[in-house]
Amino acid sequence: MSEQREIFSSRWALILASLGMAIGAGNIWRFPRIAAENGGGSFLIPWIVFLFLWSIPLIIAEYAMGRKSRKGVIGSFIAIMGPKFAWMGAFVAFCTMGIMFYYSVVTGWSIRYFYTSLTSGLAGLDHAAEWSRYTSSGYGPVFFHFLAMSIGAFVIHRGVRGGIEKVNKVVVPLLFLLLIIAAVRALTLPGAAEGLNYLFSVDFEKLKDHRVWLEGLSQSAWSTGAGWGLLMTYAIYMDKKEDIVLNSVIAGFGNNAASLLAGLAVIPTVFALSASASVAMDSLGAGNTGLTFIVIPQLFEKMPGGAIFETLFFLALSLAAFSSLLAMIELSTRIFMDMGMNRKKAIKVVGVTGFLLGIPSAVWLGFFNNQDWVWGIGLMVSGLFVALAVIKYGADKFRKELVNVEGNDIQAGRWFSIIIKWLIPIEFAVMLGWWFWRSATEFDPDAIWNPFHTYNIGTTLLQWGVVITFFIVFNKMLVKMTSNGESQDGA
Amino acid sequence: MELNTIVTMVLFLGFVWGGFAFTLRMAVKKNEEKKRLSGESDG
Repeated sequence: MSEQREIFSSRWALILASLGMAIGAGNIWRFPRIAAENGGGSFLIPWIVFLFLWSIPLIIAEYAMGRKSRKGVIGSFIAIMGPKFAWMGAFVAFCTMGIMFYYSVVTGWSIRYFYTSLTSGLAGLDHAAEWSRYTSSGYGPVFFHFLAMSIGAFVIHRGVRGGIEKVNKVVVPLLFLLLIIAAVRALTLPGAAEGLNYLFSVDFEKLKDHRVWLEGLSQSAWSTGAGWGLLMTYAIYMDKKEDIVLNSVIAGFGNNAASLLAGLAVIPTVFALSASASVAMDSLGAGNTGLTFIVIPQLFEKMPGGAIFETLFFLALSLAAFSSLLAMIELSTRIFMDMGMNRKKAIKVVGVTGFLLGIPSAVWLGFFNNQDWVWGIGLMVSGLFVALAVIKYGADKFRKELVNVEGNDIQAGRWFSIIIKWLIPIEFAVMLGWWFWRSATEFDPDAIWNPFHTYNIGTTLLQWGVVITFFIVFNKMLVKMTSNGESQDGA
Repeated sequence: MELNTIVTMVLFLGFVWGGFAFTLRMAVKKNEEKKRLSGESDG
């Protein structure tokens, strides 16, 4: 049955959906921790610089590819690079789907902690023991992962206007409001100034440290969602005359604005409620899950009205994670729709597969960490592939024909072509090389090539290799299946 | 709070939040302009 293609009802609907995609758990549980660990204000400089030198150019490229092709990620790569390169689009799509499987588990954890803080409360618990008990219980994380995936699938089943647009119109403003409330409360705590000193003080000596720059680049690449194929998918539903450049800048600034709010909420709270600055730094070094599910509940207990703010904090985390999960589910659903399935059938396939393939991450943290490492680093490859698509098309031609079209509020200048052609491949090589070097020297120096370890080069190359080889071997089939969808879609 | 912190905080928050507000405002203006122009051409 032919389906009429949906379009976002307005520019604001597209912007809110893009912000909902970009602002995820990483803004709340990773940004404050990484900013604090890498010198606060000194880290913020490279983090802002790479917003313009990595994220925004890739967001522009994604919007233009999706709007031009009116297809999901695989179809977009075919349209821009030619049928021989369908496998590249498939890798980008698989990478984001690989993240979706465990990201639904993260969303489930957030919902569970929100639910518990709202009902029985988390006060009085041994939070480290509770986290360990919960994550090893099996059925609990699986149930909440199922819940997150089911609600997400239900929203995507409702379509672009009835699902994605309606949900993001409520979730994104509410998320900003919750972050503002949390930041105001944190800033009024006695001792919060110490956290602010830490977050905003700039030590120019630190800027000579390559690590601060590479952490800034990595955070910008992961946090904005640039190069993941998610905005490429949302761009299918853009009006043909919709602006690309200004919308990309709004999405980038909006994502960073939310991250700074999360930093203002978390870092002053940790410093104000910790016994000393060194204890605060230890807390911030507890890793994403350690900080969020163990340290923050402990700190909220020491705070007047802490139970209320704890509930609001976990609600914000749940909403941030959920709005990003929606984009991942839509990306996956769109791939199957391009292959000729209608939305209802495609969402059933994605929902069931997503739930089943997320179960290993829900029951085994080791597997979760491995997938987070492999596909998190894989996103850098995805970013490179998007840049290569533009380069193959011709960077200047792409800019003139697909970006600077009628209706654009700002035109992309030659800077766009230069960044995509030269800077992004260099940034990719340096960033990937650095993470592999860290893996070989810090994370797992004794078993660099063992594919059964969590954080090493061997497991990464093996999993990427299997996926890329599979898609290259079946490239022709991918092209055939993706073009089958054209008549089904009303394109 | 140290004076340096206040200055850098204003700069960082001003740039990121100011940039966000400025680009949103620009989008509102451009949209109004487009609506006005399409109204004129329809008329």
